[in-house]
Amino acid sequence: MLHKIIKGLDQHAQIESVDAHCDIPCGIYDPHHAQIGALTVIRMVDLIDQHVKEHGKIETAEFFNSMARYIAVKEEHAELVKHEIRVIWGDFIKENHTEQFPQLHGLVHKIMALGSKARQTVDRETAMLLLDAVNEFAEIFWQIKGKGTKRVKSPYSVSEDMVVPEL
Amino acid sequence: MFRLLKVLGRSLHPDFQDGDYVLTAKAPFPSGKIKAGDVIVFRQPVHGFLIKRVSRVLDAGQTFEVRGTQVDSTDSRNFGPVPLSRVSGKVIWHIRQK
Repeated sequence: MLHKIIKGLDQHAQIESVDAHCDIPCGIYDPHHAQIGALTVIRMVDLIDQHVKEHGKIETAEFFNSMARYIAVKEEHAELVKHEIRVIWGDFIKENHTEQFPQLHGLVHKIMALGSKARQTVDRETAMLLLDAVNEFAEIFWQIKGKGTKRVKSPYSVSEDMVVPEL
Repeated sequence: MFRLLKVLGRSLHPDFQDGDYVLTAKAPFPSGKIKAGDVIVFRQPVHGFLIKRVSRVLDAGQTFEVRGTQVDSTDSRNFGPVPLSRVSGKVIWHIRQK
């Protein structure tokens, strides 16, 4: 009743507002894109290896065209991993989270370095290390959100482990 | 001395909901000094005019650590403690929608 009266008054008198501010607004964060990015990097490394084995040293336009596309996608998705993790780290992770998970800053730095190395190299081991680190980040993220996680085989062309939330 | 303000946002949900009204009092606060658990309104240089709950009183009441209720609330975890000089008032009456 009182709220209704004040609301009516507000429509005429424009009561000043005070902001119970969340990050734009109570943001939606999810490490899923980073995980997809890491899996894509592995897939591109596999495709590049397969492409070289199938074509040997035949230097055709088709060979270079496909190779350029694989490399471009690998570059793009390694950078996507870094971007997505940076956003969650900068906008979602708070001081109390890093107190609870003191390995977080080191883990994020590791992902940045592995993301760069995955761009510089065509190395499945590096790509796997990137995925492992991103999965570890996802486990911590979902723990902060109060959700349990499980590891499943990805349903994509790269059948590697993915951490998924138990929603 | 007293101000009627409208709450916008969900940082203090479910205690304070978007669209609730609050009556605030300026210092010296009629209900005594600010203590942990009080809800205060203050000017924050980057984020503007904010309402948050005091989680800790620091420096003998000269600064306050404030928190929202949401995991992604923008609060002292982002901008540090709030000095008393920036506090505009303490909530003394909460007018809920329901």
